[in-house]
Amino acid sequence: MKLFQRSEFYLVVLIALICIFITSQNPNFLTLQNLYGVLRSASVNGIFAVGVLFVLILGGTPDVSFPAIAQVTQYVAVLALIAIGGGNIALAFAIAIVLGAVMGALNGIIIQIFRVTTIVVTIATFNLYFGMLYVLSRGDVLFEVPRPFHDFGGTLLFAREGANGAVYGLSLLPVLWLAVMIVGWFILRRTMLGRSIFAMGGDEVSAVRIGVNTFAVRLFVFSFVGALAGIAGIAHASLVLSAIPNSIVGVELEVIAAVVLGGASLFGGKGTVTGTMLGVLLFAILRNGLVLLNISSYWYDVTIGIAIILGMSANAWQRRNQVNVAVEGEAP
Amino acid sequence: MKPGHKPFLQRLSADAPLLFILIAMVVLMALLLPGRFLASYNLVNLANQLPVLALLSIGMMVSMLSGGINLAIVAAANFTGIVTALTMDWLTGGAAATAGLPVILLSMAVGLAACMVIALLTGFLIAWLEIPPILATLGVMMLLDGLSIVMTRGYTLSGFPPFVVEIGNGSLFWAIPNAFVILVLVILALHFVLNRSPFGFKLYMLGANPRAAEYSNIDTRMVLMKQYALSFLLAALTGFIMMGQFNSVKANYAESYVLVTVLACFLGGINPFGGDGRLSGIVLAAVILQTISSGVNLLGVDPFFVTAMWGAIILIVIAVSHLTGRHSIQAMIRALGLGRDKAAARPETKE
Repeated sequence: MKLFQRSEFYLVVLIALICIFITSQNPNFLTLQNLYGVLRSASVNGIFAVGVLFVLILGGTPDVSFPAIAQVTQYVAVLALIAIGGGNIALAFAIAIVLGAVMGALNGIIIQIFRVTTIVVTIATFNLYFGMLYVLSRGDVLFEVPRPFHDFGGTLLFAREGANGAVYGLSLLPVLWLAVMIVGWFILRRTMLGRSIFAMGGDEVSAVRIGVNTFAVRLFVFSFVGALAGIAGIAHASLVLSAIPNSIVGVELEVIAAVVLGGASLFGGKGTVTGTMLGVLLFAILRNGLVLLNISSYWYDVTIGIAIILGMSANAWQRRNQVNVAVEGEAP
Repeated sequence: MKPGHKPFLQRLSADAPLLFILIAMVVLMALLLPGRFLASYNLVNLANQLPVLALLSIGMMVSMLSGGINLAIVAAANFTGIVTALTMDWLTGGAAATAGLPVILLSMAVGLAACMVIALLTGFLIAWLEIPPILATLGVMMLLDGLSIVMTRGYTLSGFPPFVVEIGNGSLFWAIPNAFVILVLVILALHFVLNRSPFGFKLYMLGANPRAAEYSNIDTRMVLMKQYALSFLLAALTGFIMMGQFNSVKANYAESYVLVTVLACFLGGINPFGGDGRLSGIVLAAVILQTISSGVNLLGVDPFFVTAMWGAIILIVIAVSHLTGRHSIQAMIRALGLGRDKAAARPETKE
């Protein structure tokens, strides 16, 4: 496929233009310290986005329950580590991944058995999980997360001292994000399972006819989304060093928008990990840019809204031109 | 096919499960709250609270009939209220509460016009640029929420003239709340628009099969534009009622209603792929949800338990409708078929 026909290409151009504009207004943007910060703050949404990508490729409507799953797994993992008086971060991840996978699997099972669109089922489980978390936790905020979260969130690679004496470096969170993306890419592009996910997204009836076990594939995808939500929950706790029952919910629409801007189709069967990453980075850079340009955070939603509208319009324009080319090509 | 053309009894039988659920809920609440739920003041209260949810749900349903969705519906209601309030404030030099009728009507016209500009933008994005509705309306929602926050600086604007408050809280006819009267009028108007007008016929046809609609010489883009205009018009109307009921406007009022309206559509049997769904279904669904909401509120239940309950209710409805065969596998395959057809109508790039 030609380079300029890919939505990734347009995203890279858009991101580059935005970066040039921000840098021209505030040169601090293009410092290693700031870019590390952008990556760090994008990681949680980036991990979510890989899961959302899988659901979108599988087809149907997007999953919206992942922030609630992250919220619950984060809270439970932090409580568990507090209860045993420390532990280590691997245990927190293990708890969050297993619990998240189970909660996600429930979505998959309900969708498979009752044959209802994903968004309806996941709105239901979102409310169920989030509501129960609040009822059971009584809304208590855990301000003191155990030591392992501090260690994990505070570890810096390539650490060096900045001009103002503060130490900065690459946090482990973007590394975790990268690992998740590699796993996601591998599953989608190098395994039978990945082909099955694309096949189901392309046409579920045909997928059944060529022998795809739709139940197993669907169960895997939703468990995977749940597990990633668990990982994102722990990453978030390591980032903000607290577990607040409503600190993650509300990101769902932004993450879905980032993935769709990255070229994933809402009709299923199409999407890439690279595009997803670019979509997440675009929003993170916009958010960072507003801070550096000293623009009130009130404008963030307006900017994101315009970015979605412009990005999708460009995408639609490009798609229409392609259709015209295709029609001309078919003419005898 | 078109629900309006079915005999009355057949239509009634289609709504029978919803009527049954409604009666069951009313009986349940009456038993749990003896003497309180069926008390006249509570029924008036219900009639007062219903319009906001019902109007938003109808607006959501209208967008779903074409196979779309309108996530911006609550944001548009708040946006309309805020533009109206700010215009009133500006025209009266900061004393909005003393505004006379001409100023009020002018301000409301400005609010409505602003909402219609947004409707045109949304319709353009979906009909001409062929952006998936869920994404276009998501973008518009964030844009509107953002604009609302920027315009109000995140504050609540309050203190409106009696006329505005009367729209939401007053009652012109005995104890019947004005908001409820407005809702009834809207339902009657929508019945004619959806079931008796050429536009309604085209809308259902477009939702059932966009390609067939196009080949039938239906200007699908015009239908989509009108459909989003109607959906946003209902949002604007809700905005005016909310202004009166809260006597204030704010950027994020009733945000959670977006998901509740989707739930209402699902409960009301609206096909999210388009082309199928009755006005009576959505109205009954809204009444059911409002009954439950008011009932548990009276019971003094933890509001977050109510959130969890909404989730459980959707899952129960899904299970029950599955068991009674309303969403059988065949229906799903047909729905998938429709979904694919739409994908074909909006060509995707080849890998």
